[in-house]
Amino acid sequence: MIALKEFDRALGQVVKADSAIKKCILVDRTGLTIAHVSRYSASSVDVDGIGAIASAVFCASEEQGRNLDIGDLLMVSSEFDEGKIFAASCGRGVLCVITDPEVNIGLVRLVMKKATDDLKALLQEFLAEKPIEATAEESTSERAELEAALKELEKF
Amino acid sequence: MAKIRKDSEGRLHFKLVYWGPSLGGKTTSLRYVYDDVEGLDKGGFTSIEDPSGRTLFFDFVPMSASGKILFDVYTVAGQTRHKHQRKVIMRGADGVLFVADSSRSMKQDNIESLQELKDIVGDVLGDQIPLVIALNKRDVDDAMSREEILKDLSLENSSIPVYETIAVKGIGVKRAFQTLSREVLLKQLYGIKTAH
Ligand SMILES: Nc1nc2c(ncn2[C@@H]2O[C@H](COP(=O)(O)OP(=O)(O)OP(=O)(O)O)[C@@H](O)[C@H]2O)c(=O)[nH]1
Ligand SMILES: [Mg+2]
Repeated sequence: MIALKEFDRALGQVVKADSAIKKCILVDRTGLTIAHVSRYSASSVDVDGIGAIASAVFCASEEQGRNLDIGDLLMVSSEFDEGKIFAASCGRGVLCVITDPEVNIGLVRLVMKKATDDLKALLQEFLAEKPIEATAEESTSERAELEAALKELEKF
Repeated sequence: MAKIRKDSEGRLHFKLVYWGPSLGGKTTSLRYVYDDVEGLDKGGFTSIEDPSGRTLFFDFVPMSASGKILFDVYTVAGQTRHKHQRKVIMRGADGVLFVADSSRSMKQDNIESLQELKDIVGDVLGDQIPLVIALNKRDVDDAMSREEILKDLSLENSSIPVYETIAVKGIGVKRAFQTLSREVLLKQLYGIKTAH
């Protein structure tokens, strides 16, 4: 199994590339937030909600591209008074980068290009269908978790 | 089988989607589970809606039943014109709660909404992807009978779980959620459907 630190490392490099880059979120195309890194760890935003919107918005743009028959979506950028959001496809995931308004866009593109290549490879493995050869130990603990969750559901 | 949704902390996420015609009570039902059902650890409530409260894209709440198992619960936007948005939100769904509107005026809307869902999900709906039905707005004056709605939906002879709900009062809403989430976990554990 891919360690958490590999995603953190790849996302951390994006955040470290420029002080105008504030936050970086990796989502899949079903709305799941896989990993995220922030420049200010204390920032208290609702990352799962942000990730769900990021994924949905990106997928909606992709759908729009398909409807208009204009090919694959490479990047979405949104400009706000006080910041920018960039989202780019990385295989089965979408990388989102949140920056200050005056960020160097060329640099962001470059950094995201590098990161999306890395993440694409990581995700390929991580999001793969449940491997049949998952260690017995891994699948036992997963079963235990599922059974515990079932018990919790009975309670409320 | 749907792809496993796992985050980098190793937590398993199951995606539950509330589907149904516009104004049927999807957002109200999820709101009730969010505000009033104890025993679930919930994250923030995210919604993309118009000023009148109708969903434009989706509502989303993550909830955890136990440490490493999470339910990512969504509602879709029921208005006809949001069809593309609904398709996006259905991606990766592990289970669906179909919220039908019992009002007689919604007869045709219920039928069309379920048909659209079947067209997107395919044969796995109600089998690999558990389906639970909520007959909402049981309190309205012109409510159709349970039998009539189920017949409209061609579900009169099926084993799909059905709950009668009044979302504005929270009646039946928790049970419907509980049953769906349970079915989804059981499917994951045993790959089979339980008897009801
Ligand atoms: N009488 C009655 N009204 C209800 C019930 N459930 C919801 N409503 C009302 O119906 C209206 C629509 O409810 P919503 O929950 O916003 O409907 P929705 O399915 O999310 O609609 P969309 O977002 O357009 O898809 C609101 O005014 C609710 O208060 C119910 O059980 N009985
Ligand atoms: Mg709604």
